[in-house]
Amino acid sequence: MNLLASLATGPLPIAIAVLLVLSTLAAALPNARVNPRGLSLALAALASAAILTLGIAVLAPGATVTAGLGEVLGFPLVRVCYDGLAALFLIALGAGGLASSVYAIGSSARDRGSDRTAPAYPVFIGSLALVFGASDAFAFLLAWELMALSSAALVLGARPSGDTARAAYLYFTLTHLATAALVVAFAILVSAAGTTSFEAFGAAAADLSPAARSVVFVLLLVGFGTKAGAIPFHVWLPRAHPVAPSHVSALMSGVMIKAGIYGLVRFGLEILGPGPEWWGLAVLALGAVSAVLGVLYALMEHDLKRLLAFHSIENIGIILLGVGVAMLAAGAGQEGGAVSGIARIALVAALFHTLNHALFKSVLFLAAGSVQRAVGSRDLNQLGGLARTMPVTAVAFAVGAAAISGLPPLNGFASEWLTFQGLIGAGGAASLSLVARSATLIAVGALGLTTALAVVCFVKATGMGFLARPRSAAAAAANETPRAMGAAMAGLALACVAIGIAAGPVSGAIGTVATTVLGQPAVAATGPGIASALGTSVPGLEAAYGALPLAVLISLLGLVGWGAAVRGRRVRREPTWTCGVAPEPAFQYTATSYAKLIRLYFGPVLRPAREVRVELHPGTPFPRTVRYRGEISHLIDERIYRPLHGATVRAAELIRRVQSGSLQLYLAYSVTALVVLLLVARR
Amino acid sequence: MTDPTLDARIILGVAQVVLTLLVAPLLLGITKRVKARLQYRRGPDLLQPYRDLRKWWAKESVESDVAGPVSRAVPVVVLAATLAATLYIPIVAAWAPLDGWGDLVLVVGLMALARFALALGALDAGGAFGGMGSSREVAISTLVEPALLLALAGAAVAAGSTDLGTIAAHGAEAGTAWYTPALLLAAAAFAIVAVAETGHEPVDNPDTHLELTMIHEGMLLEATGPRLAMLTYAAELKVVVVIGLFAAAFLPAGVATALTPLALAVAIGAALGKLVLAAVILGLLDATLAKLRILALPGLLATASIVAAIGLATRLWLPA
Repeated sequence: MNLLASLATGPLPIAIAVLLVLSTLAAALPNARVNPRGLSLALAALASAAILTLGIAVLAPGATVTAGLGEVLGFPLVRVCYDGLAALFLIALGAGGLASSVYAIGSSARDRGSDRTAPAYPVFIGSLALVFGASDAFAFLLAWELMALSSAALVLGARPSGDTARAAYLYFTLTHLATAALVVAFAILVSAAGTTSFEAFGAAAADLSPAARSVVFVLLLVGFGTKAGAIPFHVWLPRAHPVAPSHVSALMSGVMIKAGIYGLVRFGLEILGPGPEWWGLAVLALGAVSAVLGVLYALMEHDLKRLLAFHSIENIGIILLGVGVAMLAAGAGQEGGAVSGIARIALVAALFHTLNHALFKSVLFLAAGSVQRAVGSRDLNQLGGLARTMPVTAVAFAVGAAAISGLPPLNGFASEWLTFQGLIGAGGAASLSLVARSATLIAVGALGLTTALAVVCFVKATGMGFLARPRSAAAAAANETPRAMGAAMAGLALACVAIGIAAGPVSGAIGTVATTVLGQPAVAATGPGIASALGTSVPGLEAAYGALPLAVLISLLGLVGWGAAVRGRRVRREPTWTCGVAPEPAFQYTATSYAKLIRLYFGPVLRPAREVRVELHPGTPFPRTVRYRGEISHLIDERIYRPLHGATVRAAELIRRVQSGSLQLYLAYSVTALVVLLLVARR
Repeated sequence: MTDPTLDARIILGVAQVVLTLLVAPLLLGITKRVKARLQYRRGPDLLQPYRDLRKWWAKESVESDVAGPVSRAVPVVVLAATLAATLYIPIVAAWAPLDGWGDLVLVVGLMALARFALALGALDAGGAFGGMGSSREVAISTLVEPALLLALAGAAVAAGSTDLGTIAAHGAEAGTAWYTPALLLAAAAFAIVAVAETGHEPVDNPDTHLELTMIHEGMLLEATGPRLAMLTYAAELKVVVVIGLFAAAFLPAGVATALTPLALAVAIGAALGKLVLAAVILGLLDATLAKLRILALPGLLATASIVAAIGLATRLWLPA
């Protein structure tokens, strides 16, 4: 540990910076004898490994790492400072970046064409590392913008099509609106603190009037909520994530949107401190709506990557549920006791789920990329049977699917278990208001609905993608992906299993971070299970989840069952029963038909519409062709963004009337403005 | 409630496991017998489910020629997950065999694991009926799970813990004070979804062999031999899991909270009584109710969520 600590304070940050700069330069090299993209990606992989090490080193001893790179015009240009909270996000970035880079080495081996956006990839990783480490507003916004610009370039990709360009443009616009909100929030804090350093923000925020604090909070919620992709700020996400190359989608979905969570926890919870009840209620509501609508829209998709993008919204929602409960509980009482324990558990749940989502969402996006590469399509209705031809991808996808569905003993269950503990605990906490308690208990139902819907969606995605007969010739001819890609996916899948089993110690480590963020005294860690690792002295939460015993139990039962019922048993293989007709792929359920009941059950929200066109053989009642087209409506897009867009265009047309193009008129405007200003300033 | 010694815990655990494993097929026998009697049939022998399992276990497996390893692994995973779930439920005494290592959220999670595996396995053979059963099962579960968790959350709030042993002990020791209006509403909600979760009328007909109406049976259509035995046994055990959850949270009377011979005898009797009563009620439902249209199910099952929510509101907003 001492070695790690000395590495962290000394050479690691510098090594990361140097590796990323070299990687950017390598990507810009002309295509010579060496493959510049491969070199660049290898350097990015090394840098990510260093970021991962740095994160673990900072988290393990609970140390803080500070490094500076000089000042420009009196502003500290880049001053990074990693504490425990930042370290968690660094670990997510390091793991996601390492896997994505290794994966990209494999996937770019075939495609040697030049890609002008390749240098943006290391910049993207570096800017994320800076966002998590920035310790003043100037550096933070600089890194934030760099992150937005580099990721927009990556979404645009090497050969942009119309769709891609539109998605990148929408992303670009919305992310800047979000940044504008952040700039205003920071401006208020900076003017109160008299400095751009975050260290002074906490005290400054405490001195603000309650109204000003709430304005700052709302601005932060809009700004960070947009980056996180929480509904209703999500419209860019399902458009931008699917069109990016898969290793970029993995990083954007797995890590970048977490920058929004990081910001909300860092500024909303740590710096602004406990606020009025409605802050927590607002975050809880955003979380519940994002979780339920996110997974419902995911279910309606049969484009594998769009489906995964909507699941990012869902998981951001689950994370926000944890953050919301933490805010409610932290605001209800500082004097310790039950509520402070609930605040801690809920925050651990949010941060743990953040880390877990980075792992399983990355593996899912990478597997989706492998499928797209092998089949040339990511439409689930064109896939099928890939488990035979692409076993590594299939197993990695299945593990990711089980983890994201919150199935024990994988990592997704552990963090959702903690979220449930936080919600139910808050529901029973006498010191919270009845409104807050009712809200958290309603959220229990919302989270239950979300997890059940997630199971449906991932049975659908795994089953349609990888099982039974191929639904197209391309799917039948698919081949397994190169080894580097497989290794990246396998590594992430293993991490999902390992962290699921080690949920106790991992959540214990996160618990230390949570106590710091919440400003609570540290708790001794004892005994097995997650809750015990966080201290069982919390009234109302006397439950435990022992991940290791469960994993051992399930493995043992599984081994016994396999040995008794499968191994060495006679098996006869026969055609599937299809009522006596020769089976063919068209008999299989499709992704669309699998989700039909959900479409009807949740019709009031999804409002499905369908169009069936039947063309008959002339003169007979027998159909020659049947065409089916179905769609659902996205409420937020249609009720909020479409009117908003229309209003903006109409406003622009009104303003255009002032723009006549005549120089005299413009001079008249200037003179009028000057006179008005002088009149105003005279007083 | 005093914690028993380790030896006592082990004996208690083994006793519950043996009881659970042995009684599960009998419950199906009782349900079938009750249904048959109400239809003026004699019905199969009470022990017929055991004979079915033995018969299937000895047979060879026939699998689809498009099936892969998933079809082989799924029955094992489904049975392992369901079996594991029973170990976290206090059925006889307030200490489940794995008491302290998992709570009601884990039991719901293990049920989800079993459902995920079962629904996935049904898609492996590439037939239409597997997809039909699978998509119906998971769609219905989305209506069931919120109600299940809301109902259990009510009991957890009342007991101050999500640990099932704590809830059961709390309830058993509180006596009649446990059965507040809020708890009864939660119990009603749970009872509605328990019928759906165990696959009985009016949600699913366990005896149907008409392909178009099958839900659970549709998913087992391609399973044969030992695999069918494992999946059927898992379904029988699931009834024990669901009723066990219900009993621990909403009907804890009789659960042993001390390890005296008398308390244990009463507890074993009470546990058997609750399970048999549930099996009889399921048989009554099967015989007297028609299957609801699958599109009408949200009307029934969403009601359960609303009842559970009203139960929670009662608990919070009405002074006791």
